[in-house]
Amino acid sequence: MQPALEAALAELVLGPKLDPRDAGQVRAWLERHQIPAGDQQAILDTELERLLVYRELVQSTLKGALLRAIPRSMARLGSVFDEYFARFLNERGPKTHYLRDVAGELLDYMSERVGSDARVPDYWLDLARHEALHIEIAATPVRAQRAPAAALDLESGLGFSESVRLMRYAFAVHTLDDDPASRSEPSRTKTDILAYRDREHDVRYLELTPFATAILQRLLAGNSLKYSLIAAADELQVSLDDATLSATAALLADLAERGVVTVPIAATRDSSDHDPDRATLAAEVTPPHPPSTKHD
Amino acid sequence: MSKRARLPNGVGLGLRWEFLEEVVDGPALDVAFFEVSPENYMRRGGYFPTMLERVAERYPLVTHGLTLSIGAVEEPSADYLAELRAELARLLVPHHSDHLCFSSAGERFMHDLLPLKFAEANVARVANRARRVEDALGVPFALENISYYGHLGRREMPEAEFIARVIDQSQVGLLLDVNNVYVNCLNHGGDAREFLRQMPLDRVVEIHVAGHATNARGLTIDTHGSAVAEPVFELLEWTLERTGPLPVLLERDNDVPALAELVGEVGRLTALYARATQCFEERHAASA
Repeated sequence: MQPALEAALAELVLGPKLDPRDAGQVRAWLERHQIPAGDQQAILDTELERLLVYRELVQSTLKGALLRAIPRSMARLGSVFDEYFARFLNERGPKTHYLRDVAGELLDYMSERVGSDARVPDYWLDLARHEALHIEIAATPVRAQRAPAAALDLESGLGFSESVRLMRYAFAVHTLDDDPASRSEPSRTKTDILAYRDREHDVRYLELTPFATAILQRLLAGNSLKYSLIAAADELQVSLDDATLSATAALLADLAERGVVTVPIAATRDSSDHDPDRATLAAEVTPPHPPSTKHD
Repeated sequence: MSKRARLPNGVGLGLRWEFLEEVVDGPALDVAFFEVSPENYMRRGGYFPTMLERVAERYPLVTHGLTLSIGAVEEPSADYLAELRAELARLLVPHHSDHLCFSSAGERFMHDLLPLKFAEANVARVANRARRVEDALGVPFALENISYYGHLGRREMPEAEFIARVIDQSQVGLLLDVNNVYVNCLNHGGDAREFLRQMPLDRVVEIHVAGHATNARGLTIDTHGSAVAEPVFELLEWTLERTGPLPVLLERDNDVPALAELVGEVGRLTALYARATQCFEERHAASA
């Protein structure tokens, strides 16, 4: 009994919209779920219109969660977004206890589908991923047991904060205006962003140079510092001269000071501030991503 | 935070992020306790869990879940229960509650409180599961009566009987939401006091009140988006006169006003609470 009723209500709530005045459609819905005759009659007599309220309530709650996570991306797609949202609910649906994770599930679903849809701008997924990153990083669970910080060693990897994400975009979506009404388009510029949660729980974004990205993606994958440096230099045909090594050391020291890297690294220059000149391989992304927005 | 204590009687308030910082950093409030939805803090690091720990240093806390989905066909996820248990232990809450409903279908979560059929089979199934959930969580567990807007098929028994039998068979607590009783009587007919008379009032561990609103189709919806309505105040008083002192919670989840306004509403509820529980004491003294 409960399995049939549960599935029927789930379809009513998440599936294609049912017209309660269309007797054939209603009957087909009940039959599809093999609802017992007595229950069918009660639903037809008095309950159907009332049960449809749940469709509004559920979809409004889910939409609200998405609006908190990806408001600009939703606004830019308008009705096309609504179409994908409906398909997501119908074909997959949220599979998480946590409303804050629904945006990520929807974007996973959409990423497999929007590529061939001319109505969706090329930059859209980058923008949506970038927007959704804020809540993801703000909420990243703290590791139960963090490995004790070891001294910096060329032959070892580095420990990173659990909140760190290295995002690689094809468009400079981080430069777009925060206003959901804005329709300005980002330049098609390969952009690498390191995002993390700082010690004050604010989400921060660093724009990386290609060399910084090449090193950090290897370090984040668990490779040793020595390997990461050599492989990054090899990939980008960068000479590992004093200037490069000094800039790398400054970058890592800066990341350690920010809490991104959990290994203590002595700063190479005498400053306690996040001076943008200090780590020339990474630059703080200033608004439109104010670090004080903690709410999700 | 030191050890798990009983939730104090009196009137508490649902903790909302809109006024979290005021609760942590502001002057002490005349609020008996705060209630939180653990799903907003579980599997999460950063600002909010940190702030919640600071709230717990100042006020008693209790948890009220949203996604257990106790009535679903699928068993609650063992991972979810383990994480919930850890969260309850972290917060040292005296009890945990969730809703007598289902909110998932298979792997899909609908993030709303969907009504169970008032059926014989559901009584036994949900009662069994409630006992297992209580064991899994390691704290006393309570189920809340929900607002429901439509019934899934033919009723095999009235709502009040369904709730009373689940509570009786499971022996878990009842979180009695007086606003939900009122809303259901508006939507489905019936007398709210008569409904309350059929509730196992001796098993009530906490009472909820909230605001409601009527939608375009004339259905009354448990919105938690406005002040408590006068008839609900009256029902609460009637109930407390019969249960005696219990924790009472003011819920406000939408259109959340300034904290001062909510504390004012808590104050009004506290005055009602004092009147009603005094009446309860006098009745008991007279009958002793």
